[in-house]
Amino acid sequence: MKLFAKYNRIILLATIIIFLLASATFYVAIRYILIGQVDDDLKIEQREIETYVKEHNVLPEPIPVKDQKISYAPTSEVSKERKFKTISGFDPEDNEKNSYRVLKFGVTANGKVYSVTVAKSLQGTDDLINSILLITSITILVMLVVSLAINRILLKRLWGPFYDTLNLLKKFKLDKKQSANFPTTNIDEFALMNETLERTTHQAREDYLLLKEFTENASHEMQTPLAIIRSKLDLFIQSENLSEDQSKTIQSAYTAVEKLSRLNQSLLLLAKIENNQFAETSLVNLEEKIEEKIKAFNELWQSQNISVSTSIGNALVSMNPELADILFNNLFSNATRHNIPNGSVRIELSTKQLKITNTSDQKELDRERLFTRFSKTTGSTGYTGLGLSIIKQICDVSGFILNYSFEKQLHSFVILW
Amino acid sequence: MKVLVIEDERELSDSICSYLANEQFICERALDFQTALEKVSLYDYACIILDVNLPGGSGLEILNELKKENKVDGVLIISARNSLDDKVFGLKAGADDYLTKPFHLAELGARVAAIIRRKSFEGKNQVVLNELTLNLAEKEVRIKNKPVDLTRKEYELLLYFISNKNKVIAKNAIAEHLWGDNMDLADNYDFIYTHIKNLRKKLMQAGAADYIKSIYGMGYKFST
Repeated sequence: MKLFAKYNRIILLATIIIFLLASATFYVAIRYILIGQVDDDLKIEQREIETYVKEHNVLPEPIPVKDQKISYAPTSEVSKERKFKTISGFDPEDNEKNSYRVLKFGVTANGKVYSVTVAKSLQGTDDLINSILLITSITILVMLVVSLAINRILLKRLWGPFYDTLNLLKKFKLDKKQSANFPTTNIDEFALMNETLERTTHQAREDYLLLKEFTENASHEMQTPLAIIRSKLDLFIQSENLSEDQSKTIQSAYTAVEKLSRLNQSLLLLAKIENNQFAETSLVNLEEKIEEKIKAFNELWQSQNISVSTSIGNALVSMNPELADILFNNLFSNATRHNIPNGSVRIELSTKQLKITNTSDQKELDRERLFTRFSKTTGSTGYTGLGLSIIKQICDVSGFILNYSFEKQLHSFVILW
Repeated sequence: MKVLVIEDERELSDSICSYLANEQFICERALDFQTALEKVSLYDYACIILDVNLPGGSGLEILNELKKENKVDGVLIISARNSLDDKVFGLKAGADDYLTKPFHLAELGARVAAIIRRKSFEGKNQVVLNELTLNLAEKEVRIKNKPVDLTRKEYELLLYFISNKNKVIAKNAIAEHLWGDNMDLADNYDFIYTHIKNLRKKLMQAGAADYIKSIYGMGYKFST
């Protein structure tokens, strides 16, 4: 739920409850006051009647006044009590039902006891209450709508810097060239947030760059010792009298050094791609490139009895030519390395995509970890575990989409551009 | 013929010199920029093996110096920096070839041999070894003047062997030479074995001696 929606919901609910309570209280209060006034009028009427009776000792003729009716009824018992009552009755003048406020009291005239009933129509009062309530309700409703609208606009504006920051964070990437520049704002909370975020992202970037630099430097520094080890091994095998055991030992050392230098090269390559050292692009004729690679790998596939099927169309793609070479080498190597004897490789190139499918004895690969560095599925000794990371990285910098699918025991990598 | 190794890492420089030095080559060494500059201006070398990162200066400055003095020494740059920029820059500055560390000595030997061939047998692009004659321009092999039908890989392999004759070459070095180091297939040597077997058969069928010997499955040696 959006912050606005949640805020509005709470505010709306609270306003409506307050509005209902206020309306009810208002109604009760106004009614109480107005009825009190009518009662006062009735009391004045009573006093007038009582004064008249005291002076003349007869009941006054009831004068027909609008909204007021006086009637006398002889009664046996004298009640000193005054009784107020609200009743509804028929109003012949308006020809409709109306409510009346009625006062009953006893009067003694001519030695006879009468019960006097003074009734006052409440129509005017009710009308007044209704109009007051209507005006109040409309005012409150208008206020409600206006305040909601103002809140909406105001909140949107107030939270603007927050959403700006959010959008910036969404786009923020550690390996991007420049660090995130959060907008300045005069709201303390947001300013604090931006400042904190800026510090955190800056620190993260710094750490990332440091780590990257370390990897790069480590790889660089490793090259010379590796070169020395390799050259010493190359010299060592020139010895005339090596035994078979010694040769085997040297072979193992060779393979290990080989793997180490390959690993080193791959790490350096990844660092270089990340450093944008392959920024130059040109139109690469993929058809030619792929045909060339197929030719290069054919021998290898033949030696492992891997059957190859191809469907090569035209494709021109703008990318770094060197990276294109590395990309296809890695894709083809990958499809070969994890293949099985008598397996197959299928290469499909169309104007929009390249799909490489291969057989393998491996199960479906874990998509989550597929392109992370050193995520190895098998203990293949010659394999560095960086091949797919390199493929992914090249696709990323070239703006391609890389997908993996597994169907009918076939592993496919699809590159879309 | 003299070869100069300009490399500040003594151990590596030692290895290179011991590998290259034979009845044909005399190997000299320079461990820093100043010595290198002196040697380069005083003597002529068939080939200079040049490290780009030197204490006291850049290897590329030595290249410029060579050019200024109109020397025709062949130059092979060896650099830890596996960057295309370096490569392009070095080759533009007049280097003949470029090799990235770490390399196999056999690969270095082949590159040096190629540079020396280019520099010293101008026009006459031929390598002759006993009954074998390689025409480098045509990439053609003749044995006792009869052409031998070799595939491209077999031809490359033969030239590689001849450039490193009487040296044991590790399988890994051969694989790297034939396939380049971009192919991440380090532990697959079956196809090398097939190539060598075929090459050997073809050479012997055409009447050549059995030059290629396997050394305990570790590597091969082309002995003359």
